[in-house]
Amino acid sequence: MPEAAERKALQKGMQKLNENMVTLAELSELAIRKAVDGLTRMDPEIAQEVFTLDEEVYGLQLEIEKTCVELLALHAPVARDLRTITTSLKITTDLDRIGRYAKDMGEITLQFGAVGQRMDPGLARIREMADRSIQMVDTAIDAFVHRDADSVRNIIEVDDAVDQLNDENFKDIVQRMKEGRLEIETGARYLLVNRYFERIADHAVNIGLRVVYMVTGDWLPRIRAADRAKRREARKSGTAP
Amino acid sequence: MDKVSAWYGEKLAIQEIVLDFEEHAVTGIIGPSGCGKSTLIRCLNRMHETIPKARVEGQVLLDGQDIYGLPAVSVRRRIGMVFQKPNPFPTMSIYENVAAGLRLNGERDRKKLDQAVLDSLKQAALWEEVKDSLDKSGASLSGGQQQRLCIARALAVRPEVLLMDEPCSALDPIATAKIEDLIFDLKKDYTLVIVTHNMQQAARVAETTAFMYLGKVVEVNNTRELFERPRESLTESYITGRFG
Repeated sequence: MPEAAERKALQKGMQKLNENMVTLAELSELAIRKAVDGLTRMDPEIAQEVFTLDEEVYGLQLEIEKTCVELLALHAPVARDLRTITTSLKITTDLDRIGRYAKDMGEITLQFGAVGQRMDPGLARIREMADRSIQMVDTAIDAFVHRDADSVRNIIEVDDAVDQLNDENFKDIVQRMKEGRLEIETGARYLLVNRYFERIADHAVNIGLRVVYMVTGDWLPRIRAADRAKRREARKSGTAP
Repeated sequence: MDKVSAWYGEKLAIQEIVLDFEEHAVTGIIGPSGCGKSTLIRCLNRMHETIPKARVEGQVLLDGQDIYGLPAVSVRRRIGMVFQKPNPFPTMSIYENVAAGLRLNGERDRKKLDQAVLDSLKQAALWEEVKDSLDKSGASLSGGQQQRLCIARALAVRPEVLLMDEPCSALDPIATAKIEDLIFDLKKDYTLVIVTHNMQQAARVAETTAFMYLGKVVEVNNTRELFERPRESLTESYITGRFG
């Protein structure tokens, strides 16, 4: 059993890690919310705020990594402490990637803004995609903060709906481009935004699965959406093994 | 072990322990001071009963035979033990220390003794360091070397099982690493049981780990599982230091 002084140092380190993780999660979520806001209003000032937030996210991610390595090297943590540290190490990458997608959207906002482009009102489903992805990120982060595995056990299922929306949006944007209702360059950027939200939802899934591991020790398998769809079909038709 | 309980006079030290030890593998036993780890391991080769007023109930089966129905001396030959503090015979040479067990068992053939000493010192990873000074006193060696000498002494009588009661607690990290490497190599030929205060040591060397508390086994689990996701909250509290 760790000595008392060592235990106190570990406790303190774990507390610092948790505080930084919560801050990182909040910053990432704020970055993505602002990015959506900036894109909707085509507001370059909001885009600049997103860039600043992304830098903050990156800096804090590095600090968290250092804290994790220090805790692993000095305290040889086990059980829940070990799972929390390794989960934090993995989740920081997801949160950093979410921040990076926010930054990418900020850049698109600036590109649109430079040519006086307004958000196409016919593309309401991109907004829906944003809402759903952000909701997933919010759920995953909330689960991490409250150590609530149950709320994210089925997060993969929620991601299926986002994937489906992604496919529909893709087809819709391409169709508009084909019919000349959407300029190619503008449409390509919308496709990118659509893709960013789909990836953000994937990162929310990663976070959710890691939270389940952190809280319970269970490794939930990450099954591809296509395979899940096949299983659902098999269950419906009664041919599931 | 099948329902093994052990007492010191009236005091019950371990209670109805049921525990299997996998052959050619290392089983680690961890737990706080006074939980009964050393008592448990001493029941495995009938060392417990050497203490006045101490007694044991239950069965310890080796190849299906209860060791408490066999002569204690033959049991200790088949189940060797290494203690916390290296205890070479201080007046004996390195050679004689290793040969002591065989001599006690009546071996007089010098060639056989030479071969056994050579094999045991090699197995204990000590041969290269002492091959030119076999006639020197065992007590002249460093702490880590003395402990490997004690392991060589235990191996010389060709036991089936080797018990280790905190074998590294008196050693520095380099000597500890050598003993741990040795444990890794020895499991090819022996079944090992190691009691340790050092949880990281159990994590490093044991395939299976048992956590004891207040004379009982709380959890036996694959070592990685026990340290990554213990089943029992008491185990988690102990290994993470949130105990008591």
